Amino acid sequence: MATVEDPAALAHAIANCANEPIHIPESIQPHGFLFVLDEPGLRVVRASANTREWLGIEATTLIGRPLTELIDDPALASRLESLEEGDPNPFHLSDVRLTTGHDASTTFALMGHRYKGRLIVEFERAVDPSQAYDTLYPLMRTFVLHLQQASGLESLCALAVREVKRITGFGRVKAYRFDDEGNGTVLAEEADAGYPSYLGLCFPASDIPPQARRLYRDNLVRVIPDATYRPAPLLPAAPDRPLDLSFASLRSVSPVHLQYMRNMGTLASMSISIVIGDRLWGLISCHHAQPRVVSYHTRTACELLGRMLALQIEAKESHALAQRKLVLRQQLVHLLSAMADRDSVVEGFMCLQDVVLNFASADGAAIVSGEQCECAGSTPPSEAILALTRWLGEHSDQVAFQTDNLGRDLPQLPQLTEQAAGILAISISRLHPHYLIWFRQERVKSIRWAGKPEKLVDADSGALSPRHSFDSWQQTVRGHSRPWEPVEVECALELRNAVLGIVLRKAEEMAQLAGELKESNQELEAFSYSVSHDLRAPLRHIAGYAELLADLEGGKLSERGLRFLDNIGDAARFAGTLVDNLLSFSQMGRSALRLSDVNLAALVESIHREMAPDYEGRAIEWRLHPMPIVVADAAFIHLALRNLIANAIKYTRGRTPATIEIGAEERTDEVIVYVRDNGVGFNMKYSGKLFGVFQRLHRMEEFEGTGIGLASVRRIVERHDGRVWAESEPDKGATFFFSLPKTPYSASQH
Amino acid sequence: MLKPILLVEDNPHDLELTLVALERSQLANDVIVLRDGAEALDYLQRSGPFAGRVDGNPAVMLLDLKLPKVDGLEVLKTVREDPELRSIPVVMLTSSREEPDLKRAYELGVNAYVVKPVEFKDFVAAISDLGIFWAVLNEPPPGSLRLARRHGGSASDDDT
Repeated sequence: MATVEDPAALAHAIANCANEPIHIPESIQPHGFLFVLDEPGLRVVRASANTREWLGIEATTLIGRPLTELIDDPALASRLESLEEGDPNPFHLSDVRLTTGHDASTTFALMGHRYKGRLIVEFERAVDPSQAYDTLYPLMRTFVLHLQQASGLESLCALAVREVKRITGFGRVKAYRFDDEGNGTVLAEEADAGYPSYLGLCFPASDIPPQARRLYRDNLVRVIPDATYRPAPLLPAAPDRPLDLSFASLRSVSPVHLQYMRNMGTLASMSISIVIGDRLWGLISCHHAQPRVVSYHTRTACELLGRMLALQIEAKESHALAQRKLVLRQQLVHLLSAMADRDSVVEGFMCLQDVVLNFASADGAAIVSGEQCECAGSTPPSEAILALTRWLGEHSDQVAFQTDNLGRDLPQLPQLTEQAAGILAISISRLHPHYLIWFRQERVKSIRWAGKPEKLVDADSGALSPRHSFDSWQQTVRGHSRPWEPVEVECALELRNAVLGIVLRKAEEMAQLAGELKESNQELEAFSYSVSHDLRAPLRHIAGYAELLADLEGGKLSERGLRFLDNIGDAARFAGTLVDNLLSFSQMGRSALRLSDVNLAALVESIHREMAPDYEGRAIEWRLHPMPIVVADAAFIHLALRNLIANAIKYTRGRTPATIEIGAEERTDEVIVYVRDNGVGFNMKYSGKLFGVFQRLHRMEEFEGTGIGLASVRRIVERHDGRVWAESEPDKGATFFFSLPKTPYSASQH
Repeated sequence: MLKPILLVEDNPHDLELTLVALERSQLANDVIVLRDGAEALDYLQRSGPFAGRVDGNPAVMLLDLKLPKVDGLEVLKTVREDPELRSIPVVMLTSSREEPDLKRAYELGVNAYVVKPVEFKDFVAAISDLGIFWAVLNEPPPGSLRLARRHGGSASDDDT
């Protein structure tokens, strides 16, 4: 046969093959004969032409004759009537002899079924019914016993294959399972000597066109006793109303299939479908080098066997699925509790990297929130992951995106494929680019095809010509990862919903806190306002009247009385300062930072000048070092430095000379500013109190002060996301430090 | 005849101390004391008990921020919106160091804003400076009566 490998012609031929109406061949295999009957008369409407061979009667002469006239069985009519459309599988009604024809001694097994409104009866040569009881049933019983003990899928299939081979006597029986694309891999095989083995090999999906798969799914057993048969047409011809033979056991098969069988070197075949739910899970496929008849009883036994096998496989699969789900759920709960405990989805994720990776059986994982990307395990670089999330944001409105072949599905992001072949990306939020992503590395798969999976086209007819060689042919498939199981995707979505729940709850808590904070801020503002007005006024009055009294009546008072009056004035003025400092301290926490470039050296220089009256007449050695420019709120930093420098001036009182050193140290991510003096210092055990409000380490008569200065410094620096600390020893001077981060202050600008 | 200084103050202690301060600054102007915002507006608009007073605006108005009935900012607003009163110099006196008040006062066109110092000497100095600047030194808008007398001394337009 002349064949070509023109891809276009091939595609066309495959499409033709898929369109071949195999359920209405208008002919049957000749190992039996078939009538279509009308009702209620049960007259023959159509008959297969091979009645001539079987009965010596031309089919056309049978048309119009009632079946009851051909068969002497009074119960037959009611049995035929009882056939239900709901179960279209042929039902063995009885073994009969025909009253007409040349061979009245032959017993036929009569099978009837009703499909699409047609009553179809088929006749095959009957076999000894005792065979069923003596051989088949005991075999089936052992099979069921063993089936329950089998552990894995392979051993289940092996058991079924052995049993089918025993029952049917076929030369080779194999069981294969279809993958998602429809390729069938042989899981179990029993073969006599001389039959080539296909165990472990893969039959391409194109071997079985879709409409054939549908038939396999609906009609569980299909037998071809002799691939060299000549089909017997149905008479009279009815091209306008062809007979649907989907369930007829004698249905004639596609010539392409017969050619396929002959190429395989097998002349007889039977297949038993393994159907789970309404999915064709696999097939048990039997072949024999010579023609081989399979009796109705044997077929029924095989069908039962196939159904039991399917149930058992389903049970095993759903058990495995339940186990997998259980494990996934446990990991999910573990992850969620970690996220809830740490108050952060990202932290919870990062502290349980192993669980995260195990959860989706992934090699790498990443959690992306905005432009932040945290990775675990083996992942593409962060930049590539962010490119992926941007792409997902623009192109995918699905919550879950998955692929087991990045190169094929996302060729525009080649930077991902170095480290991963498969991804499962779950979008946590539709509004914000937050993703959980798992990565699987490439798994180079090698497939042993049962023959090169390309088919050939017959150059003469353009029809599909099945391949001639079934020698195994190895193919290496690259770029794929292990595919994502539906249960894994399902649990990842569950994780997503739970995470969303956590995130939402946190958001609600934050909103509530923000609301409360706003409220208490408003209260504080109102409080400050009235403190500012109402507390300052009486202090002013005390100070004013004390002074007026001293002015007007001072002469009448004793020296002691005058001193008391002085103290009254001093106390009122001090209280006034206290109120002012407290107010500005509370403002520091509330008002927004106005960030700008701040020249620290210039700032120090101006403070140094403006405080000159405070150290007039004192010997102070100033050591002012070069300082960098920072981004900060100039007024606040001015206040902080002023407080520190004022302290240095104050606490070096009595030192001659006093030294005050101011400088800064620039680090990669922060600037550290220090103010050092050689003053009285403090004991480090009080350093914790140093920066608190109203905390003082000296008696008032030694060093005056309100106890707010350092608290203000701390508040200012913390508003800038920096830190404050101090080092000292009593009488050995003190150094005060604060740090300012170089990154802008995102969180505390309000 | 010098135009009077209008002092609007509700607190009796503040009133007394301010009067002492004005006295010590030795200004020759009369001081007219009004105890709340409504009274101040009655005076300025010559209504109510002041319906029969002699025509003429004060040299300067020292206005406390927090006042009963009509507060200082409202008085200021009314003054600035009235073409007859618009040119009166207004100095806001307050205990508050709170920014929003200050901002609002300047928005409404206050001439000066004084946070009363706790220290009495400072208070006297502040009142004295204000009185001298606004009642004596300040050039009135063209067309109004030119001041006959000038004093030396320090002046400031804003003593916050």
